[in-house]
Amino acid sequence: MKYLFILLLMAFGFSSCLKQSIADAMLEEKNGPAASMSYKVNGTPVSITIQNADKQDRNNPTLACLKTNFYNLQAVGNFGEFTFNFFTDSLTVGHYLYPTRYGNMFFISNNNVNLFVNSPTDSMSFNVTSYDNGHISGNFTGVLTPLKSAGVVDIYGAPSSVHITEGSFKNVPVFY
Amino acid sequence: MAQIGVMKMVGKNTRDYSLGLGAYVQVGFPISEADAVTAEIGVNYFFLHGVGSGEGTAMCPLKLGYRYSLNRTGYGFYLEPQAGYNLYGVTSKADENGDMVNLTYHGVVMAAGLGYMFDIGQSPFDVRLRYETVVAHGGSNNMVSLGFTKSIGFRKKDN
Repeated sequence: MKYLFILLLMAFGFSSCLKQSIADAMLEEKNGPAASMSYKVNGTPVSITIQNADKQDRNNPTLACLKTNFYNLQAVGNFGEFTFNFFTDSLTVGHYLYPTRYGNMFFISNNNVNLFVNSPTDSMSFNVTSYDNGHISGNFTGVLTPLKSAGVVDIYGAPSSVHITEGSFKNVPVFY
Repeated sequence: MAQIGVMKMVGKNTRDYSLGLGAYVQVGFPISEADAVTAEIGVNYFFLHGVGSGEGTAMCPLKLGYRYSLNRTGYGFYLEPQAGYNLYGVTSKADENGDMVNLTYHGVVMAAGLGYMFDIGQSPFDVRLRYETVVAHGGSNNMVSLGFTKSIGFRKKDN
């Protein structure tokens, strides 16, 4: 009897490790894993989750990494827009940094405010921690400068005033 | 024995499931005064987003178990681990496009119960709290149930 219960406890421990219901697991089998991205803009959380990430329109995805001459991670939602370029021919697990010396670059549109790497102390830092079965996961942080008005001469707001923290992305499909 | 019970789905993303209903028929094969091997077939149903939405989960588990009487009399508190097979399971829910999909599955079933057997008059009754899990397709449906059993055995249990 004692061994029966030990066996059962181990089985329950195993089943508790299964973090999703059978239906969710089956939908994931059918549609591919859910992709998600989240981060905070000066402490305000932003998140996006796509249940059928592998079945997105590859020409107009909501959350995906597109391979062209480089890799472009992009997300679009009610919050605005997010983009990060991995300037490499072959994306691998590793650290990717975009400092200001590479040039002025748009990264995030947050509540209709466009955020750039522009000031000398700005940067976006990405870590790709896994690249399995055509899906990438990782984390990121950044320090950005808001664009106040676009024109012949763009006018920027307070330098390095926007902090991107607790950024993470999971199971984002890479489309070729 | 025939049992009815109320159940609650537990675990991640189960907040939208309302209380479920379960009905079982269980047959016990006494191997001593205190213990019995049991065979049970049941039906569990949970509504998703409330009754009337058409969404929900149903399962039909067949289980074998071992009922162990703690005071070795066959009455009072007992433990009952069970294992078996989900003969049929289906979850109906709306997909990303709002279309209803029916996901059917089988899977392994495991359960552990704590019950109390007693008599009311000449009739034996049983109240049981049980944790049950169905594992299939890399996911699991986990539930806690509280059941009430009326014995309808063909042979009256000796006191």
